[in-house]
Amino acid sequence: MSVWSALALTLVVGAITYGMRAIAIVGLAGREIPQPIQRALRNVGPAVLAALALNLAAGGEGSVGLTWPEGLALVAAGITAWFSRNVIATLVAGMSVLWIAEALL
Amino acid sequence: MSSPWTRLVDRRGVADAIPLFIPAIPFGFVVGLAVTEGEMPMFIGWLTSPIIFAGAAQLAVVTLAGTASLWSVIVAGVVINTRHVMYSAALAPSFRHQPRWMRWVGPYVLIDQTFALTFLRADRPPSEFRRYYLSVGFFLWFCWQITVALGMLVGPIVPDSWRLAFAPAVMFLGMVLIAIEKVPQTTAAFVGGSVSLAAAGLPDRLGILVGAVAGVAAGTLADYRFGDRPVRRVGVAA
Repeated sequence: MSVWSALALTLVVGAITYGMRAIAIVGLAGREIPQPIQRALRNVGPAVLAALALNLAAGGEGSVGLTWPEGLALVAAGITAWFSRNVIATLVAGMSVLWIAEALL
Repeated sequence: MSSPWTRLVDRRGVADAIPLFIPAIPFGFVVGLAVTEGEMPMFIGWLTSPIIFAGAAQLAVVTLAGTASLWSVIVAGVVINTRHVMYSAALAPSFRHQPRWMRWVGPYVLIDQTFALTFLRADRPPSEFRRYYLSVGFFLWFCWQITVALGMLVGPIVPDSWRLAFAPAVMFLGMVLIAIEKVPQTTAAFVGGSVSLAAAGLPDRLGILVGAVAGVAAGTLADYRFGDRPVRRVGVAA
């Protein structure tokens, strides 16, 4: 692949990616957003983060699978997050359970 | 006395971003490794980091470049990050009171981690939000450039048995469970996660987008049906 075609490809994907990130911030930031849309937008964060978490855990690239250790790790992480409300504790709990379960199962 | 550094940088933002970046380190290494094994010239491959600044899209581009049509590579690289449109929409109200330059610069560093951290602080005063957002975003940006470059050097020696690639899933799950307090958001997370899991077989991580759309729809319906009923008593997000 030539330098120029690789650079053009990178610039095009970079420009579109930036455009997707900027579209609402630049386009809507100066205007009043209707109340129903504002209420709906509050659901975007939880929906996307949950979708991201489980899709990443399951593979999400055509080959789907959640192993028992991975499932147990997510449950442990979920319980820890719910009760501790601490990101580091959640990470430590989830990854520890994953390593232990993979060693045992 | 405060130095220019402390006036510009929100140290809390940097401190919050560190634990979220750690799980991205193996991913950065993987991107770096893919650059060394791909068809792109190495320097251009690394340039995907400052220009695209989106791990999954970069990975798709450097992996597919030279082995698929240009249009296929562009579509793959773009579709993966469609969720960024929703991040943009969700943060748009917070940017309403920001100066014009911030509205143009802010989106450049709007990645998963930036969104997750700043969305939780969307109700802060504009100047405080701006300082926090830019500190988080550009700290993550700087670390990502270094990590991908290091990955090009040392990526091949990280053992698979560490399973660090699983850490982002744990982090994102934890972040959503820490953040939700009301019935609509809980519904959105539950439906979004479930549908995304059921749709995980779709190519190019389309399952994330499908799950997110379903989750937002379900959360909106729950909002109309139940209103802002709380799901727990704890009041302040970590």
